[in-house]
Amino acid sequence: MSAYLDTRVSLYASRLWQDVALDALVAAPDAEIAGALMQRGLPQLAAGFVNPADRQNARSLEQRIIAEVLDETRVLIRPLSGDARSFLTFWTARFEISNVKTLLRSKMTGERPAAVLARLTPMGSFGRLDIQNLAHAEDVGELLRRLEAGPYADIVRHARRAFEQSHDPFSLDAALDHAYYEGLALRAKPLEDTVGAPFHTLMARLIDRINLVWLLRYRFNYKLPPAQVYYLLIGSRYSLPSARLQELAALDSLQAVLAALPRVWRTPLSGAVDIPGVFARMERLAASEAQKVLRSRAPAIARAFAYLILRERDLRALRAVLRGRHLGLAAGDIRQALQRVPEAA
Amino acid sequence: MLRTEPMLRMHVLLLASETQDAALELARFGVFNPAPCSLDALAESPAATYREAWLEAEARLSKLLEQCGNSGPLQLPADAEAPALADLQELNGWLKEVWTACLACHESEIQVAEARSHLDVLEDTLAKLEHLNVDLAHLLRADSLLALNIGSLPVTELKRVTEALAMTGHLVTRFDQLGEQVFAVIAGPRSRQAEVRGLLAQAGWRQLPVPDELRTRPQAARAWLEAERVRMDAESGTTCQLMAGLRERFGPRLHEARLRLALARPLAEAALASVRGKGGLTALSGWVPRRHVHVLRALLDTRFHGRYWLDLREPVAGERADVPSLMRYPGWLQPFIPLVKSYGVPRYGEFDPALPFAFAYLLLFGAMFGDVGHGAVILLLAAFLGRRFGRIAWVGVAAGAVSMLFGLLYGSVFGYEEVIRPLWQSPMHDPVRVLGIAVAFGVGFIAFTLLVNTGNRWAAGRTAAAVLDSNGLAGLVFFLGAIGGLASLVGVLDVALPFWLLAGAGIAVVAGYKWHEAPGGTGERIMVTLIETLEMAISQFSNTLSFMRVAAFSLNHVALALAVFTIANGLETAGHAVAIVLGNSVIIVLEGGIVAIQALRLMYYEGFSRFFNGDGRAFVPLRLGEG
Repeated sequence: MSAYLDTRVSLYASRLWQDVALDALVAAPDAEIAGALMQRGLPQLAAGFVNPADRQNARSLEQRIIAEVLDETRVLIRPLSGDARSFLTFWTARFEISNVKTLLRSKMTGERPAAVLARLTPMGSFGRLDIQNLAHAEDVGELLRRLEAGPYADIVRHARRAFEQSHDPFSLDAALDHAYYEGLALRAKPLEDTVGAPFHTLMARLIDRINLVWLLRYRFNYKLPPAQVYYLLIGSRYSLPSARLQELAALDSLQAVLAALPRVWRTPLSGAVDIPGVFARMERLAASEAQKVLRSRAPAIARAFAYLILRERDLRALRAVLRGRHLGLAAGDIRQALQRVPEAA
Repeated sequence: MLRTEPMLRMHVLLLASETQDAALELARFGVFNPAPCSLDALAESPAATYREAWLEAEARLSKLLEQCGNSGPLQLPADAEAPALADLQELNGWLKEVWTACLACHESEIQVAEARSHLDVLEDTLAKLEHLNVDLAHLLRADSLLALNIGSLPVTELKRVTEALAMTGHLVTRFDQLGEQVFAVIAGPRSRQAEVRGLLAQAGWRQLPVPDELRTRPQAARAWLEAERVRMDAESGTTCQLMAGLRERFGPRLHEARLRLALARPLAEAALASVRGKGGLTALSGWVPRRHVHVLRALLDTRFHGRYWLDLREPVAGERADVPSLMRYPGWLQPFIPLVKSYGVPRYGEFDPALPFAFAYLLLFGAMFGDVGHGAVILLLAAFLGRRFGRIAWVGVAAGAVSMLFGLLYGSVFGYEEVIRPLWQSPMHDPVRVLGIAVAFGVGFIAFTLLVNTGNRWAAGRTAAAVLDSNGLAGLVFFLGAIGGLASLVGVLDVALPFWLLAGAGIAVVAGYKWHEAPGGTGERIMVTLIETLEMAISQFSNTLSFMRVAAFSLNHVALALAVFTIANGLETAGHAVAIVLGNSVIIVLEGGIVAIQALRLMYYEGFSRFFNGDGRAFVPLRLGEG
C-alpha cells in the first residue's frame, strides 16, 4: 500500500507548478492556457477556461479548484486506513466547514436557498452534510440545531453556544475555525507519534502559521483583548506553545510580536510590515519544508500530505492568475498578487 | 425483451401559463423521461422560480409534518390541476408562517428545559452555600472591587478559559458538573471585567441567575426557585398547547398543501433541465417510447385542444449515449432484473442480457447443485420467505426447482444416490465427461457473448470494431478456429488444418486492427499490438476453462455428501441422524451460497464483461405523487 501511495505521490509531484511556469502562464496567450492546465492534471480548470459559460456545468473557479483537490485526495486516500485515512479525510472537511459558514451567513442575510446552494462547494464522496436540507432551514437557530445533529456536532456545538451568547457572526466563524483546527491537531497526534519528524514538521508549520496570523489579525485588526485572542488560538505543541502565545498576545504592536518570536521564525519574517506579508513569508517557509518532505524518503502519508499542501498553494496561485486574466488585469498586477515571483527572482 | 425500447426525442412547445399543467399531464402519462432541452433559441429557464418555490415549500411542509404528524393517505383527483407559480408562492408563504410559529415553540421548549436544569444546579449550589459562612450579598455587591460571576461553560473549554482568564488576573473555581457542563465561579478585578466579557461569550459561558433573595436570605431563595419552576411549567404547558393547537387548526390545510405540492412536483422536477422558454413560450423536452406516441398526442389534444406543438424525431448518432434505456419484462423475469441491474443498465440500442442471464444462471446453479432434496429445501425456504424478501425470493424458488431437475438427472436425494434412478448419471461416475460438457458449455457461452458484442458495436455504428476487434467477429473467428484446432489435436474432431487457418486469419485481423488503433511511435505500437493480441488469446481460453468450475462444483457436491455419510456411519443411530441433518444443512447453506455466488461470478465476469458496459442511462419517467 505504501509503495502504491509513494508512486502515486511521485507521479503527482510532477504536476506541481514551479514559480517559472506560473510566471509564464501570466503572459501566455489564451490558446495555450487550457493545454497547460491539462498538462498539469487540471481538466476541470481547463474545461472552465475553455467554456466559462457552460450551462450544464456552471461551477465557479473556486468550486473547480476545490473539485480538483478533492479528486486528487480521493486517489491518495484509496490505499490508506486507520489514522492516516481519518486525518486526510478530515483535512478535506475544511471545505465542508466553509460550506457551513456560507450557509450560516446566508441565513443571517436571508438569502434564498437556491442562491446559496449554487455557491456551495460540491464535496462529492467527501460530503457528509445534507446541504439541501440545511439550506432550507428557516433561520440560524434551526440551522445550528440541525448541524448539531449531524457529523460535525463536535465542531458546531460550541459555536452555537457562543453565538447564542453574543449573536456575533465573528464569534460563530472563529468558533468553527478553532474547533476544526483543534480537531485536525488531535487527529494528527497519532500520526506524529508513528510517522515522526517529517509529519510533525508539516503540522508544526501549518498550526504555527495559523496561530500567528490569527493572533495578529485578532489583536491588531479586530482589536480584541489579549485574553480573548489567546483563547481563540489553537492549543499548540509546536514552536509556539501556550506560554509563548500568551506572551505574544499581550504585546501591543506587530513589530513587537515579530521581535518576540523564537529565532526559527524571526529571520524568515524579518522585513514583514503587515499581516499579509507575514502570511506570505510563513507560507513560503511551509512550502519549502513541504518540498523537502516530498523529495525525501519520508513515509508515504507525510509525502502525500506535503503534496496536498503544495498543490493547494499552487491552485491558490492559479486562481490569482486565471481571475486576473479574466478581469483583464495587467501582467505586472497579477504577478504582484501571486507573491511567488520574488521567490523565483 | 432482448433490446431496449425504441425512443423518440420530444419537444412540446406551449404557452408558458400552461407549463405546470403540461408537466402534470406528462407525469400522468407515466412514460416521459425529462432531458436537457437542446433548443438554443429558448435560452431562459422559466420554471426555475417555480422549482425554487416548490423546494422551499416542500422542505417546510416535511418539517411541519414531522412535527405535527402525517395527515393521512393522499388521493390525487384525476382532474386536479397543478398550482400556478403565484399559488405556489402563496402556499410557500403560508407554510413559512406556520413553520416559524412551530419553530418558535420548539425553541421555547428547549430553552425551558435548559432553564430547568439551571434551576436544579442553582438549588444544589444554594444547599452547599447554606452550610458555609459566606456573605453572598457582600461578595456579589455591584460596587465591590472584586467581580464575581457564577455560571456554567462546556467542560472542554475549562482549561483554556482558565489559562486565558489568568492573563487578566481572574481565577476560575469549578464547583459542580452536570453532563458536559461545568459550573464555576469566576473572580477577578472589576476594573478588567470589560476585557473578559467577549472571552466569556466566546467560550459559551452562561451566567446563573442569582436572585436578590439568594444574596441576602437563602431561605427566601427556595421560595423564589419554586416560583420559577411553576412559571417554567406554565410556559412549557402554553407551548405544548400551542403545538397541539397548530395540529388541530391547520391539519386540513396541511393536507391540502400536501396535495398541491404533489401536483406541482412534475414541473418542479422537470424544471431542472428540461424546461426552457422565451417570452410567453415554453418547451418541455425529453424522451418517449415510440409505441406510446399516439397516446401522448391524444392526451395533449384532450388537455390543450391544439394549443401546443409537438416535435418528435429519432435519436441522432451523437446523442445515443444520452438516450435512456427502457426495457419491458414479463412478470416471471422481473425477480432476475435486480441481479442484472446490480451490474449496470444496458446502453440504448444494446442487447439486454436479462433473459439469457436468467436461463444461464439457473442452468449453472442447477448443474453445480443438482439434488432433489436440497433443491426442494431451497424452493420451500424461498417460497416461505417470499413475503419478507419480495420478488427476489422467486429467484430462490426457480433455483430450487432447477436444482431438483438436475437432481433427477444425477439421481441424488440429500446426497443418497440409491433412492431414485438417475435420468442421466451422477457426476462422480464419469468426471471427465462432466468436465468436457462444462468446457463445451463455456465455448458456447463465450461464442455467444462475442456474437452479442459484435451486434452491440454494429448497432452503435462502430462497424470496424464490430468486425475487426478482439471482442468482435474477428475474435470470434479466432476463438472458434482455435477451439476446433485444439479439439482436432485431442482427437475429438478430424479437421485440424482448416480450423488453424481460420484461427490464424482471425488473430491476424485482430492484430492488424490493434496496430491501426494503437497510439504512439512504432515501438510502442508493436508492444501494444503484441500484448493486446496475446492478452485476447489467453483470456478467451482462460475464461473458457473457467467453466470447468461448473463440473468441479457438481463433483464437490457429491464429495461433500460422501463426507457427511462417512462421518454419520461412524456414529450410533441418533448421532447418525443428527450428523445427516446437520451435514445436509451445512451443504445447503454453505455450498448453496458458494454455488449461487459462483454462478453469478461466471455470468458477470465471463459473460457481461465481454459485451455489457452497464453504463447506460436508466429510463426515469416523470411521475405523480410525493417524494
